Amino acid sequence: MTQSVNRKDAMEQPFERVRAYVDARRAGDATFGDVVALAEITAESMQAFFATIDKSIYRELREIAEYITNMRSEIAALHAGELKTDRLPKAGEHLGAIVVATEEATNAIMEAAEAMLAAEGEDEATYKALVNDKVMSIFEACSFQDLTGQRIARVVETLEHVEARIGRFAAAVRTENGGEAPETDRERRARELLLHGPQSRGEAIAQNEIDALMAK
Amino acid sequence: MALDHTIPVLIVDDYSTMLRIIRNLLKQIGFEDVDEASDGSAALGKMREKKYGLVISDWNMEPMTGIELLKEVRADDSLNRTPFIMVTAESKTENVIAAKKAGVNNYIVKPFNAQTLKSKIEAVFGA
Repeated sequence: MTQSVNRKDAMEQPFERVRAYVDARRAGDATFGDVVALAEITAESMQAFFATIDKSIYRELREIAEYITNMRSEIAALHAGELKTDRLPKAGEHLGAIVVATEEATNAIMEAAEAMLAAEGEDEATYKALVNDKVMSIFEACSFQDLTGQRIARVVETLEHVEARIGRFAAAVRTENGGEAPETDRERRARELLLHGPQSRGEAIAQNEIDALMAK
Repeated sequence: MALDHTIPVLIVDDYSTMLRIIRNLLKQIGFEDVDEASDGSAALGKMREKKYGLVISDWNMEPMTGIELLKEVRADDSLNRTPFIMVTAESKTENVIAAKKAGVNNYIVKPFNAQTLKSKIEAVFGA
């Protein structure tokens, strides 16, 4: 309150001095000297005004500097370098390995099944040996589940880590949820033409409900 | 009407594993003349070279999706009578309706077994 009164005074005083000078010179013609004198009076008079706003600007700049310092430390806490060079690439490697492992296992299982389906004209002992052998191959192939489960756990851990750090950063810099990023052509095409993968249980409709829709 | 197992069937999926599974299921049902394509545009090319009696296609494929393939097929005078079954891992009501509007003959949600596949094929042919 006091500060705003001071600033009001500081703004009014220069104009009073300028007004007084102009009133005193109103009767005669203005000379070059009058103009220079008027400029000096104006400059001197404004000093008080600038002094008051200097303090508030300084305080605001100091707050901005503190905010930037805080943000820098929060950015450092994100360990963006570690995420970019270590955790995210490793998560990508894990996901790639999961795709390969599941594909290999599926192929191994199908090969075994196809071999059993194709067995013809074998005597009982040979057929039994073949089935035993192929069933063991299927058991071996199913071990992929343990390995992929471990890899998926690592990927989930990375996602949780990223989520926690971004959440902390967002809280520290007091961000509001901004508008959505503009949609790219690829994203628009995916949204319009592609489905979005297997649904969770409870979200999908059952085959008999699909049949009912098709029958309408 | 008995199901004609001699008709050529085209299966379309971008996952070789899924192609293999569907091929084996079709073999179990009795279909032997089965060709494969890995996306919609490859399937369209094959359909313009050979007359297929049935197309079984996945929805999610790039660069041409299953729904785009279906629309292309229905817009082509020489192909538009080909029976078309959509197979997807997602079964939202709006997707089923969109496929039906585009002219699909049946819609199967993954995973499915030989019996489901057989019954849907029979329904398409009124067998």
